[in-house]
Amino acid sequence: MITVAPISFAAADIQPTTSVLAAAKTLPGPLVESLYIHVPFCAHKCEYCAFYSAPPSGDVIHRYVHALVKELELVASRARPKTIFFGGGTPSLLTLKQWETVLEAMHRLQLLPAAEWTVECNPATLSIDKARLLRSAGVNRISMGVQSLDESLLDRLGRVHSREMVFRSYHLLRDAGFRNINIDLMFAIPGQTLDTWRKTIDEALSLGTEHLSCYEVIYEEDTPLYEQLKAGEFDVDEALACSMYEVLVDCLAENGFQQYEVANFARHSTSEAEVCQHPFIPSWACQHNLGYWRGLDSFGLGPSASEYVDGVRSKNWSNTDLWITQLERGRRAKESAEALAPLSRAGELAAFGLRMNAGWSFTEFLARTGFDLRHDWSEDMEALISRNWAVRGEDRFHLTRDGIRFADAAGACFLRPEGSASQGSKPKSRI
Amino acid sequence: MDAAHIRNFSIIAHIDHGKTTLSDRLLQRTGTVADREMEDQMLDAMDLERERGITIKAHPVTMLYRAKNGEEYELNLIDTPGHVDFAYEVSRSLSACEGALLIIDAAQGVEAQTVANVHLAMKQELQILPVINKIDLPHANVPMAQQQLEDVLAIPGDTALLASAKEGIGIEEILEAIVARIPAPKPTGAKSLQALIFDSYFNTYKGVVVLVRVFNGELRPGMMVKMPHSGKTVEIKEVGSFNPKPYIREKLEVGETGYITANIKTPREVKVGDTILDSKNPATPLPGFQEIHPMVFSGIYPINPGDYEPLKVAMSKLQLNDSALTYQTESSAALGFGLRCGFLGLLHMEIVQERLRREFEMDIIATYPSVVYRVQMTDGTEKEVDNPAFLPDVTYIEQILEPVVKAFVICPNDSIGDMMSLISEKRGSIQNTETMDARRVMLSARIPLNEILIDFHDRIKSLTKGYGSMDYEPDGYDPSDMVKLDMMVNGEVMDAFSALVHRSKAENRGRAIAAKLKEVIPRQQYQVAIQAAIGGKIVARETVSALRKDVTAKCYGGDISRKRKLLEKQREGKKRMKAVGSVDIPQEAFIEVLKTS
Repeated sequence: MITVAPISFAAADIQPTTSVLAAAKTLPGPLVESLYIHVPFCAHKCEYCAFYSAPPSGDVIHRYVHALVKELELVASRARPKTIFFGGGTPSLLTLKQWETVLEAMHRLQLLPAAEWTVECNPATLSIDKARLLRSAGVNRISMGVQSLDESLLDRLGRVHSREMVFRSYHLLRDAGFRNINIDLMFAIPGQTLDTWRKTIDEALSLGTEHLSCYEVIYEEDTPLYEQLKAGEFDVDEALACSMYEVLVDCLAENGFQQYEVANFARHSTSEAEVCQHPFIPSWACQHNLGYWRGLDSFGLGPSASEYVDGVRSKNWSNTDLWITQLERGRRAKESAEALAPLSRAGELAAFGLRMNAGWSFTEFLARTGFDLRHDWSEDMEALISRNWAVRGEDRFHLTRDGIRFADAAGACFLRPEGSASQGSKPKSRI
Repeated sequence: MDAAHIRNFSIIAHIDHGKTTLSDRLLQRTGTVADREMEDQMLDAMDLERERGITIKAHPVTMLYRAKNGEEYELNLIDTPGHVDFAYEVSRSLSACEGALLIIDAAQGVEAQTVANVHLAMKQELQILPVINKIDLPHANVPMAQQQLEDVLAIPGDTALLASAKEGIGIEEILEAIVARIPAPKPTGAKSLQALIFDSYFNTYKGVVVLVRVFNGELRPGMMVKMPHSGKTVEIKEVGSFNPKPYIREKLEVGETGYITANIKTPREVKVGDTILDSKNPATPLPGFQEIHPMVFSGIYPINPGDYEPLKVAMSKLQLNDSALTYQTESSAALGFGLRCGFLGLLHMEIVQERLRREFEMDIIATYPSVVYRVQMTDGTEKEVDNPAFLPDVTYIEQILEPVVKAFVICPNDSIGDMMSLISEKRGSIQNTETMDARRVMLSARIPLNEILIDFHDRIKSLTKGYGSMDYEPDGYDPSDMVKLDMMVNGEVMDAFSALVHRSKAENRGRAIAAKLKEVIPRQQYQVAIQAAIGGKIVARETVSALRKDVTAKCYGGDISRKRKLLEKQREGKKRMKAVGSVDIPQEAFIEVLKTS
């Protein structure tokens, strides 16, 4: 059994090996160290979910798996992932056999091992065999979509699993050897009270996971929950949602969790070797997601997946059939692509990096974008500081606890939309 | 044509009672327009006129008719605007005639608008020729219509002709009656030329085309004429008439109507009601001239501030054919640059706005309309104020007078109660109640003009399920307890919402606008206080609570582009917002409130 220690973010800068460089000849450019794979199937669509997924029918999963292998082959020469993330949908819906096909291909294409490899699981679709297979293939992090530990709220959200399944799956994962487990929780669910939320937090904490992702309900258009809200079936209680958030942050902090992003909390490792020195990033933080907020290149495979490679953000078709058909013809199925001008790109990175409690180190930002926050964004920083939304240190600008609650408004100040007056300036030093 | 064979008449009718259809039939029957050239509403050239079934500009048309007595007559129909906003134009058009066809819908009976216009025609001593139209309708009730003619208008019911313009019934009889019953024009006996100007329009090639009726003497090209009220002297270039398209004639003689052109560049140089006289040997001008004064004012602003210049251009083009329209530049903190416009009345205001939108494709918003107040100062002087922003300091005001109208409301019997409470809500006093027929009554009331500006007509329509009708005529000025109501956000006055209102209404209005503003002002990162104030006294308050959060819960690789675009859009939106003090208010919010208040 392999156990992989969580890695600190700073350690992620390893030089690619020569063997991989040799394989990279087919696609030019530096190696991409992050890989996302979208599995667009769910047993049942949840009331709040706007992700691309659908209940599988006929042999579509089978065809999906083969198309995914094809897409992996197309990008493999440029991919040397340090982090892999299987999201969905419900990746755990794939059968043992289908998983074997995918894992075998990843192995053959030299995409493994990855320092952090996450697979999202639904508590209703896990078996000990599946867990063991994933673990033995090198998957070392499981993210379980739990959302709530209150039966009536699980029903309300249209979840297919019960409370009991959560506990059972959790222990099953531990038995299979996973020592880095996240669970997703939701608050401000219609009908949820502060008490049921507290109870869910307590129960989740007592499970003893390394990581917790806690989201306030988002009313996305085209979801049943949004329609119900619009139809006036319930009201949004902003004050209650805010109280739930405060309870969450306090409660998790008391229990050894450190918040490192708007919705993400993780413990510090107790092992001396794994202790992360970063003051704002706990050692069990999800390295893959950190990469998004830090603007690292990342491949995204599978229907509707987004990727960011060589300064271009692109998105696969959100249509499984179309995506499969394209790959069966030997090409990737891109729906859209955008390349931002350098300053816009830097502004975007600044904005989304602020979602992290760490904010930005000025030197890191300069190294990544070629722009200096202290120069091009000094007024914006001052404005946020004067509102007590942010603080500025020697080499860091980050939001305060209050500021994190306004991360969108704060981030928006840092955007430099293309075509706007401020777009004209050039980066001072390109790296 | 000799005067004995000329008849000048206009048509008075309520909207939809068939005036335009009847005009069309007259044009057809006299052969003025060939059947194959006929298109509906021949005389209403503007789309808006056709669509709304109203006549905005006067349209004279000359028809030749061979009567049963074997002689040929020149019939001049002067189609006039039917709405009281244009009462002065109507009165000038009417005074160009000796008679008027009064059209009554056989099913609807006499309506308020008809009453007001018949009063005007009677003041001009016109021979009224009643026509009961639409007699072919299944629910036509001719005896009822005749009875109303007698009861309401004091016109003998049995003098009415029966017709259906749509079916072509009774057209011949109408033409014969025009010849037989409407008097022929007679020279005034003055020493020289007298021709009444009853309208004008602008033609790109000819300049201003002046519509005239000759009362004495004759008009020929080459004559030097003067217009005493505008003080202009010009040489006539061309004279002609309409059939209904303009055609050149050698001269216009006593009793004839038509047009002249004289290289007049701007319509403002020609005043409706002025008399054209011989410049060397001028006779006395015809009576009845008035300077036109706008009754209602409102700011018109482009929704996109960059459209201010195009708006000005559009307005100047409109003014070419609408000399009653006045405007000047004004600016508002909330809405940027715009034009303060003066209108003859509500319909006029609506028409101008509608034409700007349609013919010039301008996206505009109008501020709360204001009437013209007379402000008597403590030093004995008097000021006219049409913009609340220019109301003098209250300490120097002795009293404020507001314009009052006499309104005629015709409604079904069972709505009297509702009408009376509506009128009293509008600070009106009922002066007279007349029974029209078994179903309807006519209420006459004095009501401040400012109270009927906004929703009076709509309220009548809704309270009477569409059966009620209303019209009004100016009826002087009354002292009134008017106050300036200001709306404020976080202590800053939003000028676009300031209005002069009666003290008894101020608090309610303030409260209503505050509530509306609360709906449309987006929540900000700090609390926003919306207040209504009279002088320094706060009469209403609403609070937009501060945002407690503004953060997307979930944001990973796949969400970033979409989220960035959303934030960029919000940013752009914020740029377009108007900062009132520290509060950002989207222009749409102002517009939303202006639309509904």
